[in-house]
Amino acid sequence: MFSFSKWKANIYTKYSKDPGNMLVHTGVIGWILSSAAQVFAIVLNDKIPTEQKMFLIPQEIADGGVNILSFYAFTSGIKYIGAKLTKTCKLRTAEVTKLLKDRGLILEKGQQRVKGKVYAGDWDFDITKLKNYKSDIENKFKPFNNGAEVIAGLTGSIISSNLITPLARNYYASKRQKDMIAQMRGEKSHDNVPVTPRVSINNFTNNAYSKIIHPSGNLKV
Amino acid sequence: MVSLNFISPITNSCKAVYNRIPSAVIAKNKVIDRVAYIGQKWTSPHQRAIMGLTAIVMQPVIDWKNKNVDEKTRKVSVARTFAKIIAGTATGVALRYGFIKGIKALSRPASEIPKDAKPFVKKLMHSLTPNNLNPNDKDALEQYRNAMGTILSLVAMVFTNFLIDAPLTKFLTNKFIALQEKGEHK
Repeated sequence: MFSFSKWKANIYTKYSKDPGNMLVHTGVIGWILSSAAQVFAIVLNDKIPTEQKMFLIPQEIADGGVNILSFYAFTSGIKYIGAKLTKTCKLRTAEVTKLLKDRGLILEKGQQRVKGKVYAGDWDFDITKLKNYKSDIENKFKPFNNGAEVIAGLTGSIISSNLITPLARNYYASKRQKDMIAQMRGEKSHDNVPVTPRVSINNFTNNAYSKIIHPSGNLKV
Repeated sequence: MVSLNFISPITNSCKAVYNRIPSAVIAKNKVIDRVAYIGQKWTSPHQRAIMGLTAIVMQPVIDWKNKNVDEKTRKVSVARTFAKIIAGTATGVALRYGFIKGIKALSRPASEIPKDAKPFVKKLMHSLTPNNLNPNDKDALEQYRNAMGTILSLVAMVFTNFLIDAPLTKFLTNKFIALQEKGEHK
């Protein structure tokens, strides 16, 4: 059964240490809600001509869909890279470098790599797994790491939402618009195959707007 | 069963390439402090505002350069994109900010609740405080408030998207289309 206390405790445990993750998750939900509302706004806007609606409705649906896909495929990827760079200490502050040097974990220039030893900056290195991490390292590492994660998440979000998504949604929507206009005019599609009418909410909405549907209703025989 | 033995050498090669990349050490305190500040203070309203600002610079240009559609569709698309970004950013930032502020008032640790407050007020001020709160970790409480404020603002957005965002987008789209038409007739 749902427990509000448990839910609060879960949010505290999950997101208090990982603000970047929270931004990605809430961003995705936000896009779904926004797209759903925007489709309604287009459908109900009688000042936009039907032909443009045929572009804008698929554009908005694609916007939501591609946003979610690119968020998980691209933004999460960028966020992972950002986290990897800081956790493996490939990207680190001078303070952390000194700390690692004292522990003999920095491979100096010209120094021979000891076989089997994992150094700072290696793929398998994880600063959070070091001895006395909580007491000696966390307060020097965590603030920079959190900031780097937020910056990486935000950079990924900007590229995916403001570049990849608009390009992909426009490509998809213009194809849909061409097909639907051809369908309305009873033309053949670009593959020279006669376009068969498809029943969809888009078609219904557009037909309703262009008053193709019988004014007294669909059920009239 | 399909053998995945070929993956191991690829992974090892990738790791070897990564290990050879020189590490970057940031020595400038100003940069380090700035990054730490972003991690601690930038919350979802900041993120939403930055997303909105970058969106208004990038998305209408992409719509305008979309040569797969006719000019009329391009113009309507640009007008709607502008309207949608303005409406979405304004309500998104305001809601997130308002909720985070509200959550802050309702998630006080016991030490921050005035002793002379009425029992009901005390309960209210403590109503969203997590049971597993570590009173010594101020940053964790701050991040929890941001997360909780953002999550609850998303619940509110189920309604505001339909009641504010969508009608505002429609209103602004029509205004921008009218402006475009006015410009064409000049």
